[in-house]
Amino acid sequence: MNEEQLILAVPSKGRLEEETRRVFGESRLPIARPGGARSYVGSIKNQPQVSVRFYPAAEIARELIMGAIDIGVTGSDLIHEAAENGEENVVFVKPLDFGQADVVVAVPDAWIDVTQMSDLADVASDFRSRHGRWLRIATKYVHLTRKFFADHGIAEYRIVESAGATEVSPAAGAADLIVDITSSGETLAANALRILEDGLIMKSEANLIVSKGADWTPMKKAQLEALLSIMGGIPPGISTQL
Amino acid sequence: MAKSPGERRAAMVRLVESRTVTRVAPPLLLPAGPYLDLAGEEFGRQLLLTTANNGIEYCLRPDFTLPIAKSYLDDGMLGVPGAYTYLGPIFRQENGVPVEYDQAGLELLGQPDADSALDQVLTFARWALAIYDVTAPNVRIGGVGLFESFLAAMGIAPQWQQRIRHRFGHPHAMQRLMERLAQRSDAVAGSSPDARETIIEIVTDNMLQSGLSLVGSRQPEEIADRYIEKQALDATPVPEEMVALLVDYLSVVDTPGRAFDSIWKMASGAGLDIEEPLMTVRNHAAALTALSPKAEVVFDASFSPRLDYYTGVVFEMTGRHGEVLASGGEYDRLLNRLGATEPVTASGCALWTDRLEAEAGLLE
Repeated sequence: MNEEQLILAVPSKGRLEEETRRVFGESRLPIARPGGARSYVGSIKNQPQVSVRFYPAAEIARELIMGAIDIGVTGSDLIHEAAENGEENVVFVKPLDFGQADVVVAVPDAWIDVTQMSDLADVASDFRSRHGRWLRIATKYVHLTRKFFADHGIAEYRIVESAGATEVSPAAGAADLIVDITSSGETLAANALRILEDGLIMKSEANLIVSKGADWTPMKKAQLEALLSIMGGIPPGISTQL
Repeated sequence: MAKSPGERRAAMVRLVESRTVTRVAPPLLLPAGPYLDLAGEEFGRQLLLTTANNGIEYCLRPDFTLPIAKSYLDDGMLGVPGAYTYLGPIFRQENGVPVEYDQAGLELLGQPDADSALDQVLTFARWALAIYDVTAPNVRIGGVGLFESFLAAMGIAPQWQQRIRHRFGHPHAMQRLMERLAQRSDAVAGSSPDARETIIEIVTDNMLQSGLSLVGSRQPEEIADRYIEKQALDATPVPEEMVALLVDYLSVVDTPGRAFDSIWKMASGAGLDIEEPLMTVRNHAAALTALSPKAEVVFDASFSPRLDYYTGVVFEMTGRHGEVLASGGEYDRLLNRLGATEPVTASGCALWTDRLEAEAGLLE
């Protein structure tokens, strides 16, 4: 591999992959994946200085923060979640207008007395004396949850890490409430969960993101600027922030 | 007479090994459960955790107070006055990075005279700081006990008191609550008794339909009762003048003399009797101010650690750049939270010796 090559990471499957390739294609930067869905290396036509990698979206967030890749497309929620203060290690260059979703706090609809975070603070404060255990929150957004709850002065809870299907945790008895991502709210409603009125933790969408920690040589910076100018809608001078 | 780092360290060792105290060294590897039980997720995120094959979580010692208090109980020392000191490393995670600090401190447990115990702790902290040539630190003191007495004397609904007390020491959450209290709502009065059964029924139906266990988490009765309580509280808000009084109280930050005078004026103006707890804090502040050389002492009415086992007077001593060099106070509720069957007085402080050494370096 050429050390002066720019490494661009693209989500490896699903709608995020399709939409990313569509957006790049519309900017006359068609991404090729010669080996099909099993291949993890690709390229952009007429841009030999760019090497494309196909990684899971969460992996892209981690690698951007660590500086193992130069540019990537992933959800802004994943950057905030991948590490505490992860957003300080990257530059959000351009929102891509797809993959929109909200990270929210949702409680069982039956909790008719809990409509706001302040209600949750009250419930949390005496939950342990009532039930002999902490209030449990199922989520895969550990950092975001801790920060949001700390901002609301809630400390009396425990996080139950959930890898998938967080929304069934309350019915399964694994947690009392959840923090999860939702785009339409339908999945939450189908599981009889209700978003708190002030329970929006963050609005997320797919972003083109540049790593601050990557090995930025003057040559690579110049190539980055060139690539971003082809993408369009990005002010020049991003490389000065690296 | 400038001392070297080695000499300062030796002086610190002599302080924690003086004849009236017992120096202890709790294990570096501790069960994480008690920490998580006491402090929840907010402190839990700072622990350096490891999990045994049987799923039990352990952490590297993140502080000394808890293991000292726990072995005091486990060793059956209840009723026996204990004076424990320590000096050694603690481990935490900060911004996702593991860090090791050196901490020293004193814990006085089960002392018959709680007031004199706290003064000893304050004096110990001043001595320790003096080893590092921090002879006139900035000291901030707070009154957890005073606030609790003030709140209790206001005669507002117990549920409101609980909600307010719970947010003490958390300025953002407290401010939000005060704003909420200041907004008058036009909610209708609470439901009649037979409505409770109806609400329980509705909640039960909803839970069954959603596939929620009726006993595994919050139960229908609990939800209905809190729902009714919330309506009732909306209908009987905290009187406007009491909200204003609380806001005024919490905003007091001044030299102890002036601070206590204005709190006394506030309280007597509103007919609240807090003379005794006010006198207690006043005496401690006076004892602290009397120590020479003079420290800059400030009483901050809203200051409290976030941990709810702190009780009477709390304090922190800071260096020239505002970093905390020593902090502590009275924490009478800790031993009960750990399972003590009778009240146990406790006061203590922790010193950040790395920061103290840095502070001493600055002076040279």
